[in-house]
Amino acid sequence: MSIDAVERVSWDVEGSGPQIALVDLLDRLLGSGVVLAGDVVISLAGVDLVQVKLHALITSVRAEMATEGRVL
Amino acid sequence: MAEPGRYLYAIARGLDAAAVEGVPGLDGAPVETVEHRGLTALVSTVDLAEYGEEGLRRNLEDLAWLEKVARGHDTVIHAVAGAAATAPLRLATICLDDDGVRARLDEWHDALETALDRVQGRAEWAVKAYARAGSADQPPAEAADDQDTSGKGAGLAYLQRKKSQAHQQVQSQERALEVAERVHDSLAARCVASRRLAPQDPRLTGHEGVMTLNGAYLVEDAEGDVFAAAVQELAEAYPDAHLTVAGPWPPYSFATLDPS
Repeated sequence: MSIDAVERVSWDVEGSGPQIALVDLLDRLLGSGVVLAGDVVISLAGVDLVQVKLHALITSVRAEMATEGRVL
Repeated sequence: MAEPGRYLYAIARGLDAAAVEGVPGLDGAPVETVEHRGLTALVSTVDLAEYGEEGLRRNLEDLAWLEKVARGHDTVIHAVAGAAATAPLRLATICLDDDGVRARLDEWHDALETALDRVQGRAEWAVKAYARAGSADQPPAEAADDQDTSGKGAGLAYLQRKKSQAHQQVQSQERALEVAERVHDSLAARCVASRRLAPQDPRLTGHEGVMTLNGAYLVEDAEGDVFAAAVQELAEAYPDAHLTVAGPWPPYSFATLDPS
């Protein structure tokens, strides 16, 4: 659905269904957000670049596992 | 499966387990529930060769894998959030077994109750603002470019024009940021909680304009339409900004647990 509220104003409702744009999903699911100052470069659609702070993620995962008292 | 682990999607309160029956988990594994102290963890079994520390280190750099997991995670969250108060977990939160899951529920219990209280009956809406492409770097003086190209005044006129363009660009950027502030403040006053996420790179958004606001807003379920209408009013009030609104989404920005 797209509504032209007034001339020159376009106002979009995106993702009103269950599908959330991947970049928005990663923004939220990675906690630190998808930023352009991270540690790892990921190719998106072969053109765009996403750099996510994966070290922070991996550290948090490692912390989860460490509290289990076992080392993987 | 060589070494099974338990992948945690979310913690819910007051969930009827029937609501997740038939919901596919990652890699086709069924979504199961682990109940503990009045909370329900949504889990499925994954292979630690793929989801363990070494596997994640390798796979998280593979965008196809990351997308698969993010989408699979979101599918479960959507099913659960539609049925009960839900606190989504971050991507790739993994325990070794159900005892580990219960230990997490113990450890996070109070924080979970707080988060669930916050999001119950509410949903997340995303509002973005973009500076309109061109308004920032194409000043109207452009048409005069070819005038006065002879004589000793030409160089000076060129420099003055460049200076004027730079000045206008700075003003335009400041204006765009100011509009973003106002839009955010206005929306924040109309919802339960709000957060500003880092603006996304234009290469990811597909929008030509620079993103000046990447906002998340926690809105009462019954007030979603009112909130969306408020965004439209703001779009009319600030025609030099391009606003988008999306929702309702599960309350990712307001319940995701951060162990750190």
